[in-house]
Amino acid sequence: MSIAESKGVDTIQTPAVTDSSPTTDREIEMSTQDVSVWFGKRKVLEGVSIDFPKRSVTALIGPSGCGKSTFIRTLNRLHELIPGAALAGSVMYEGKDIYDRDVDPVQIRLKIGMVFQKPNPFPSMTIRGNVLAGLKLSGMKRSNHDDIVEETLRAAGLWNEVKDRLGAAAGELSGGQAQRLVIARALAVQPHVLLMDEPCSALDPASTLKIEETIRDLSKDVTIIIVTHNMQQAVRVSDRTAFFLAAENEPGHVVEQGLTTEIFGNPQDQRTLDYVNGRFG
Amino acid sequence: MTTTFDPSALPQLQQQRIERPWRRKPPIFTWSVVLATLIPLAIVGWIYWSTDIPGAIVMTVIYLPLQLIASGVAAFATRGRRGILDSVIIVNAIGATLFTLIVLLSVIGSLIARGITAISAHFIYQNNVYVSPSTPLEYGGIGHAILGTVIIVGISMLIAVPIGVATAIYITEVRGRAVPYVRFFVQAMAGVPSVVAGLFILTIIVATGAFQQGAFAGGLAYAILMLPTVARTAEEVLKLVPEDLRTGALALGSTRARTVLRVVLPAARTGIITAIILGVARVIGETAPLLLAAGSADATVVNPFGGPIAAIPTYIFNNVALPYPDAVARAWASALVLIVLVSILFVLARVIGRGRLSSK
Repeated sequence: MSIAESKGVDTIQTPAVTDSSPTTDREIEMSTQDVSVWFGKRKVLEGVSIDFPKRSVTALIGPSGCGKSTFIRTLNRLHELIPGAALAGSVMYEGKDIYDRDVDPVQIRLKIGMVFQKPNPFPSMTIRGNVLAGLKLSGMKRSNHDDIVEETLRAAGLWNEVKDRLGAAAGELSGGQAQRLVIARALAVQPHVLLMDEPCSALDPASTLKIEETIRDLSKDVTIIIVTHNMQQAVRVSDRTAFFLAAENEPGHVVEQGLTTEIFGNPQDQRTLDYVNGRFG
Repeated sequence: MTTTFDPSALPQLQQQRIERPWRRKPPIFTWSVVLATLIPLAIVGWIYWSTDIPGAIVMTVIYLPLQLIASGVAAFATRGRRGILDSVIIVNAIGATLFTLIVLLSVIGSLIARGITAISAHFIYQNNVYVSPSTPLEYGGIGHAILGTVIIVGISMLIAVPIGVATAIYITEVRGRAVPYVRFFVQAMAGVPSVVAGLFILTIIVATGAFQQGAFAGGLAYAILMLPTVARTAEEVLKLVPEDLRTGALALGSTRARTVLRVVLPAARTGIITAIILGVARVIGETAPLLLAAGSADATVVNPFGGPIAAIPTYIFNNVALPYPDAVARAWASALVLIVLVSILFVLARVIGRGRLSSK
């Protein structure tokens, strides 16, 4: 069920601050409204409102320390695990605020998967075991494990490299392979949304390209939100871009958001123009 | 046009010697090290053989300062003033290491020297029933005490390992409000003298009539001592599990319980085993708790609730002060057996611990 059906149109029509592009041609999978984040007393994010259309790729760009990673972790309730974390505003998904009292964070994380900056395969498990780990850990029942393993490893672009050694320890994989393994692991629980926090920052160019291909393929079925420092990558993989910026000792906020072609080709804000042209950050 | 392969056209491989340029030292260095080692030894040897000063005093009062001065002079000759402090620290470090090794080796050496006479096959498996302190070494053994130690330690493991690991999980994974207090109590518990643990069990378990002296009560007393070791070591190894793995599991829709059971504990498996072995090694030689809680026996006892039971430490205690040379020899041999048991445990811990490092 989409937000539009359950919540009424006003949810999706909330005017995104500087978003000039129409979003109504696509259903909204997920959206944030006025999200602010604190660590202790320090406010690190202010008033972030972004709509994420279904089956689109949204890139979050901006200089280090502007709160992109913090923001992405609010979207699947990993943020709350940090001691001293606080949050205001709402994160709407399937017509509900995921921070509502009766929402189980475990269910949210099951539907909104995540890939981290550093590959984190479970070292005590085999390659196959890692792919299926999500099913075991979440108690999700899916039959035909062999098919799931092949399907998700193919989707992550790793199948050909590991098909003959699925029983090997996951620790034997190279960094790029391990990252594709954790993408496969995230896909095995069939998430509707996939959050990626700088998934390529530790990888070589060849692995990066493979993962970008994977992202493009996945976006046919899954809504993807990706944090990246690599501007070319944002252009290559994303449909929409949001530019985050934090002034010194100020919380980060979204300066500009919209279609990637617009943000990079015809930015409205001088700071966006400077950033995407590499003049700061 | 064809070209044939001509091996002689290949450039000749140079025969190079394996070298370690950073180890090249000027000749004066070698000579000063040799002289700085030999001269103090020669002086000390001459003093020792030509006077009546005891060896220990010669070593500590004469040799150590002499060696320090000699090394300092040698360092000054080769490297100037900067070298002196270096040589002082190195000589001290080597000296301290040698001292520790000598102490350790002389303990083991005297155990072997005095214990080996009583060691035999029957000493390992027979019991003490028809043996009096004056019985010659051809008869009897400590099989009953070895079995008793195994049973008592086994019982204490059954109790202390689950509680200790659970405590570590509370501290590192649950991270509840009481963590500082729990940690404080675990540390305080580590300081409980073993005789107090024995007295505690004696008063609340044995004296109240709940259970009689025996393997169960002894195991309880051991568990009190084992618990803090297991809890603290397990805490340390759980802390080594990368946070990434926990968030990774949670991001897959895992509950906290499943994260701990299926991801964190398996990742720390070998470390947990090390913690258990260290806990066992901590208690296995404790005597006082067993004297109070387990008693002693000459016969082989298997039932943990079946009354007083022998164990290696209590056997040693009961025999070592007797005025019979054979009884004393048995006590030394038992101590040797105990040391061997503990060594096996530590080697096991090392081997398993190494497995953890190699598999990352």
